[in-house]
Amino acid sequence: MKALLQFFVRYYIVLLFLVLETVAFVLFFYHNKFQQSAILTSSNRVAASIYEVENSLLSYFSLRQENDMLAEENFKLKNRINALENRLENIESDTIDYVFAEKNIEYMSAKVIHGSVNQHSNYFTINRGLRDGVELDMSVCNPEGVVGVVSAVSKHYAVVMPIINEQLTISCKFKKNGQIGLLNWHGGKSSVAKLEDIARHNDVCVGDTILTSGLSAIFPSDIPVGVVSRVNLKESDAYYDIDVDLAVDFRSINNVYVIKQNLRQELLDLEKEQMK
Amino acid sequence: MNIWVENILRYVVLLFLQVLLINNLYMAGVCSPCIYMLFVLFLPVTLPRWADLLIGFAAGLVLDVFCDTLGVHTAATTLIAYLRGLLIKNFVQENERLIGTPSSRTFLLPAFLKYTIILVTSYHVVVFSMITFNIHLWWLTLLQIIVSSLICIALVLLYDRVRTR
Repeated sequence: MKALLQFFVRYYIVLLFLVLETVAFVLFFYHNKFQQSAILTSSNRVAASIYEVENSLLSYFSLRQENDMLAEENFKLKNRINALENRLENIESDTIDYVFAEKNIEYMSAKVIHGSVNQHSNYFTINRGLRDGVELDMSVCNPEGVVGVVSAVSKHYAVVMPIINEQLTISCKFKKNGQIGLLNWHGGKSSVAKLEDIARHNDVCVGDTILTSGLSAIFPSDIPVGVVSRVNLKESDAYYDIDVDLAVDFRSINNVYVIKQNLRQELLDLEKEQMK
Repeated sequence: MNIWVENILRYVVLLFLQVLLINNLYMAGVCSPCIYMLFVLFLPVTLPRWADLLIGFAAGLVLDVFCDTLGVHTAATTLIAYLRGLLIKNFVQENERLIGTPSSRTFLLPAFLKYTIILVTSYHVVVFSMITFNIHLWWLTLLQIIVSSLICIALVLLYDRVRTR
């Protein structure tokens, strides 16, 4: 007993070091679990409010660019309203279900107050939280396309895991023929991701548009993801090696939408019931 | 200046510098120097080693919260807080150790250089191997470690110059 005590007294520094280092690695490897408790992410109150002040100062510099983008989007939306109005005039009363189904999706605007693009696990913090109705796993987009998924929420803020995070995989499809693939990002440039699982018998060209498939309960379908920028198929490969230029410019991201799917829970419950 | 006030002030300034400025600079993806760790380097020599470790751990955790890199900076700062004690014991004479803050004047330049290079490099090795964590991009990680460490070492020496003048 005395020897044991002496051992502890003698080596307590090394032991303390090992304990702290172990804690650090536990935090590292169970990162995703700890993210559920928002206090350990940048959506915690102190960190987020510092970033918010920073953002409110810096956002003046990009006002012009933001304005252009919003004007552009306004224009697109106006066109869409026109098209929809035309369609509405034409439809019969028995197709009213279609209009109702569209109500499933609601948009909520949010501002990115902090983010990284040069890491391997990039995250963005936005200024909407539980109070505004943001929940885990909601999808986030901006006018250009898909941004990512909400991965942690606190009362006033939320953390978004963007496409440019190695842990996120998105189910995508080709606009031209609906062929399904998985989009993944493997580090490096923040503008290029890989599209995987496209078998060699498919027809893939540079310039093909990639949209979300809507197969997962997270993303609604037909949101732009990017454009094929490089196609490679070796003699021996069964699958294509495809680079996708992402639609969203993550380095100048500022205004985003959180997408709320009202029927999502119902869908998940139904699928779960079937799985039993 | 009181040594405690100096350390707290240094900590706050470094935290803001790291989080608001350096992490926002995109230097072609090849480097992001963690100048924040300078705080651990310049902790008073007289601090007991267990305090070194606890302060290092806490400081790393705070940075991790800001960067959303849970565990990475915590592991790195804890490591250099531990190494720091060993290095001081080895490089610096007992009688010189009484003087407060590590610097090229209190340690003498060669010892201070060794101290800085070893700590800064091991810090960046840990951070980048944990963040990158991708066997295919090992050369990018190596480049990041080298460039970031060099910049960080230069900044530490510059700071030391300004401080001891």
